[in-house]
Amino acid sequence: MPYLFIAVPVVSIIVFMFIPMIVSFWWSLNDYSGIQSAKFIGLDNYIQLFTNDPIFIKTLVNTTLFVLMGMGVGPTLGLLTALLLNQKVRFQSVFRTAYYLPVMTSLVVVSTIWVMLYNRNGLLNSVLTGLGLQKVGWLSDPKVALISVAIASIWQGFGFETVIFLAALQSIPRELYEAAMIDGAGSFQRFWYVTLPSLRHVVLFIYIYGIIGSYQVFDQIFVMTAGGPVYSTSTIVHYLFTKFMDLRLGYASAIAYVLFAILVVFSYLQWRFFTEKS
Amino acid sequence: METQHRSLNFIVGRILLYLVLIVSSVLMIVPFYWSVGTSLKLERFIFASPPQWWPNPLTFLSYINILTRIPFLRYFTNSVIVALVTTLGQVFFDTLAAYAFAKLKFPGRDQIFFIFLLVLMVPSQVNLIPMYRIMATLHWTDTYLALIVPNLTSVFGIFMMRQFLMSIPNELLDAARIDGCNEFKVFMKVALPLALPGIATLVILSFMGTWNNFLWPRIVTNSESLFTLPVGLAQLQMKNTSNEAQIMAGTVLTALPMIMVFLFMQRQFIEGMTAGALKE
Repeated sequence: MPYLFIAVPVVSIIVFMFIPMIVSFWWSLNDYSGIQSAKFIGLDNYIQLFTNDPIFIKTLVNTTLFVLMGMGVGPTLGLLTALLLNQKVRFQSVFRTAYYLPVMTSLVVVSTIWVMLYNRNGLLNSVLTGLGLQKVGWLSDPKVALISVAIASIWQGFGFETVIFLAALQSIPRELYEAAMIDGAGSFQRFWYVTLPSLRHVVLFIYIYGIIGSYQVFDQIFVMTAGGPVYSTSTIVHYLFTKFMDLRLGYASAIAYVLFAILVVFSYLQWRFFTEKS
Repeated sequence: METQHRSLNFIVGRILLYLVLIVSSVLMIVPFYWSVGTSLKLERFIFASPPQWWPNPLTFLSYINILTRIPFLRYFTNSVIVALVTTLGQVFFDTLAAYAFAKLKFPGRDQIFFIFLLVLMVPSQVNLIPMYRIMATLHWTDTYLALIVPNLTSVFGIFMMRQFLMSIPNELLDAARIDGCNEFKVFMKVALPLALPGIATLVILSFMGTWNNFLWPRIVTNSESLFTLPVGLAQLQMKNTSNEAQIMAGTVLTALPMIMVFLFMQRQFIEGMTAGALKE
């Protein structure tokens, strides 16, 4: 009976996870188009990626920059907004909804909205010219495009962190603050010695999740820039996708395993996080 | 003098606080407002300078245009079917498996659960291409099967429900067993109803994840009649026959259902999202 209870997930994990994982690794060691039969070439795909594919190196750099921008700004914005909302604010839930609304929305929707805002004659440039400033090629200037995508992504995502930080702040026992006040701690000291240490666990969660999630960025790139201009916004998963569409399945699989390797440390931490709880 | 000074500080602080909150909330809402506004504008006023904050004349032409030109209602139906069936599947199969892992004893239980958790470490892109080939081999591409079956169970859901079910007292289950219920009946009659708060969270996470999913449905569907909303919207955006007002009409239609559900079930959504992050 118990085996029957877990049968569907077990079969599903074997068929849709384990077998694909192994097959994917095998293909990464092959020259394989999906049409002709695979030809074993050892580590050639990996060697090619790192020594003979400047675009791939660029996607690694782009993705890392995207992660750094997102993780540098997003959680900080989330914490700041949560701290503000935690000040016995009226209409707290209205403000919280405003921050959280984009989190609910699909990334494709968020991306089409920002493509419109970033248009050469769009709202953002209208505001800039209204202020007497130069128009910016938000998505057309290779120097700016990745930053623009990151801004849209941060706008979409930081409300998640707001909500989590707010819940965590509200669960800090009041007695801790009272004790600190009695000891004569000022508001900054209370923040530093009471609030921050209590949030340690949540901060860890947010960064691990955020890093894993943003290294896999795809939807925004697909809709907003398709990796351009001149590969300035090409990211790992988007590049994998284009190689898949070009029927270079072996090469694409190697890219997937490089991503896995990059994320393995963070995934391990995430896994520890999970198993600690059970 | 001292108290007066302090209360002045307090008032200034409060004003600043609300100012920051209001300005930042407006910045969050403006893109949505602008997208609705643009969808109601005539084409020649979309990029009018200075920008039109209120559409004048206000027109539903773009909505009529895309609803007649593109099978948007079909995308919507597809999204609903895929999200509902996937969610139902996850609720049933995940909770059932979680019940076995939490409350039943059988050889290999902990080892199997350990392997399940290991799966959480693998980014989904690693499986993507072979998964596509499996779908092609089964002739499932461009059918609902490819959109639904691979996601009928989720390791995260099993993990979450297991946590939840462990808190149910064994005495309740034993009482049902003594009454002659078989194990499946104990699950259906006792465990499932008690797990409802956890299931609410699972429903929200699973529905939202499926509804907003893009890469997988983009890869396994070719015909418009099987597109989900995000895939259809991305397609609409890439057509050079669409203008910004039509793209925004599509955007509004895509975003609206989820936003409506969210506004009605805000508390559950927020509890669901925080459940994973905070240690009880």
